[in-house]
Amino acid sequence: MKFWEIGKRNLKEIYRNPVLLGFLLGMPVAFMLVFIAAAGGGQASPIGMSVVDEDRSQNSSAFIQTLGSIEAIDLNEPVYSQESQAQKDLDEGKISFYLLIPSGFQAAQQVQQTINLELVYKAADPMIGLQIKPIIEAVGSEFLGVAPPLNVELKGTESIIKNPAVNFYAPGIAVYGFMILISTAAGIIAGDREKGFLSRMFTTPARPSDFILGYSLPFIPVLIVSALVYLGVGMGLGLTVVGNLGHVFLIFFLIGLCAIGIGMIVGSLVKSESQTGVAWIFIVPMAMISGAWFTVDRMPSAVRSVAEALPFIHAIDASRAVLNGSSFSAITLDIYWLIGWAVVLFAVGIVLFRRTMVS
Amino acid sequence: MNAVQTLKLTKEFDSLVAVDGVNLEIKKGELFSLLGPNGAGKTTTIRMLCCLLKPTNGTASILGHDVVKTPFAVKKLIGVSPQDTILSERLNCWENLALIGKVHGLSSDEVARRSEELLETMGLMERAKDQVRKFSGGMKRRLSIAMALVSDPQVLFLDEPTLGLDPQARRTIWEYIAGLKGEKTILLTTHYMEEADFLSDRIGIIDEGKVVALGTSQELKTNIIEMRSMVVSTDDLTAEVMEDLRNKYSRLEIAKGKLEIYHKDLDFKEIVDYLHSRGVTVYSAALEQPTLEDVFIQITGKKLRD
Repeated sequence: MKFWEIGKRNLKEIYRNPVLLGFLLGMPVAFMLVFIAAAGGGQASPIGMSVVDEDRSQNSSAFIQTLGSIEAIDLNEPVYSQESQAQKDLDEGKISFYLLIPSGFQAAQQVQQTINLELVYKAADPMIGLQIKPIIEAVGSEFLGVAPPLNVELKGTESIIKNPAVNFYAPGIAVYGFMILISTAAGIIAGDREKGFLSRMFTTPARPSDFILGYSLPFIPVLIVSALVYLGVGMGLGLTVVGNLGHVFLIFFLIGLCAIGIGMIVGSLVKSESQTGVAWIFIVPMAMISGAWFTVDRMPSAVRSVAEALPFIHAIDASRAVLNGSSFSAITLDIYWLIGWAVVLFAVGIVLFRRTMVS
Repeated sequence: MNAVQTLKLTKEFDSLVAVDGVNLEIKKGELFSLLGPNGAGKTTTIRMLCCLLKPTNGTASILGHDVVKTPFAVKKLIGVSPQDTILSERLNCWENLALIGKVHGLSSDEVARRSEELLETMGLMERAKDQVRKFSGGMKRRLSIAMALVSDPQVLFLDEPTLGLDPQARRTIWEYIAGLKGEKTILLTTHYMEEADFLSDRIGIIDEGKVVALGTSQELKTNIIEMRSMVVSTDDLTAEVMEDLRNKYSRLEIAKGKLEIYHKDLDFKEIVDYLHSRGVTVYSAALEQPTLEDVFIQITGKKLRD
């Protein structure tokens, strides 16, 4: 039971290190709180809009009034009468965009000609235009009394999910939390090697298998506690669990094993504890393309296939699906993928770690 | 069977020969010191004997077990205190000792008994339950040595056991090591000649990877030092006496009322009697004891702490 003693030592080194523990558990919890606060709950704040009224007619001011009555829009005062002034303010950053009502607005309306409105924004800030265009189109057609050719009604299905933002962010950020294990595991192995602790232990009769077990087993309680904390915090924030919580736990456990395996590999390859920072070059992009923090549904297919080759996106998608009610059969492929990765990573980790023992 | 035996033990790192054909025979129960400057190859030798480094050439065995062919048999027999004090920083003394004891296969009871004994002797009992990262250098070193001893090893390797410690802490550790003499075979490395002199049964002087002299402290000093010296404090030397002495001994020097006599063999009584017989007042006289530093300079032409 030599591995047990080494494992016990490593577990103590982890849980008696408040900085490490805070990083491991605190960062994902903080992320979760911030993302959920940013995404969900309260009403989105209205967009401030400036208007240039070159028409200066009864109809144009009525249209502006209608725009001002929309909740999503916060009309900036006063209304510009000349575009040059608005252009100047836009250039100086005083306003972020403006709507130009050209002269001839009322005339065109009366003879039922096409009306052209211009939405002017800085090209560097393209999201504004995309967000505001459909609002203006909708307000415009209602104001003009034009019957839209098609009426698309948004209608969410009857759902028992209380807070969709929590159900989206909690699993993603939990998986990101397990990715932090990569740097923790690598740091402990590299640190012990750098300080000579491993060398000292190599003068004892402990075998390579004792070290491999002793340096991986202690992370299992760590990942179980992490999973419980992430799920607990998620539930505290209003996570709705529709599917089987055990399945979510299984997914978390498997992705945690993958992270430990990667940590062993990194810890065996780098020369010092500080070099394990290199792991972050992979952790953050992997989290991004795996959809830990935002949806990756519309990611370019090349990036998507990279993400899908890696285990993380499978853990995130599958745990989201289960929380939203998917059955086990719907996530079986993801589970196989995770098991496959865990086995491969552990095997490689063991080989590399063994190699560090003889010189 | 020797406790430690090496034959032409050699370790090369790329182009550097760190250990160059070292032959050692350390008997059971002997305290043997490898004395040499930094970079002489002491630690590399120990690392090979502890199965941490594979020799490039030559063989080494501990109590008959080859370090390359049967490393695990060797590891069961040895205790090692590495040069850098290496502890598990967030464990307390008990836990550090238990870790090493248990990977050596000791039962919980044995570990507890041995630990208690060692913590008492090393004067660590008061702080035994504190995490060791808060300890002073001397305390850490004492615990590190205790960790090397907890498994009750037959052969003990102490790599620079008092490096960087203050004189008082060093003295405490010396006394403890001296107390182990005879019980355990100890291979100690040091670049402090006083340490080698004070503790060792035999000393191997090592320089640039080679053992350049081997023997007891006394043997090294008498066999290797070619010139001994005697300092006599006096003030009424006559030219005649000086002439006599100059004829008899290799070299004479007079400085600040002190007469220094150099020769291969010097007889204290003979010199003092001669001076008295010639009516010379002798205030004090002392035969200078050669040090291992002198031996080292004699052999290598350089100082130990260069």
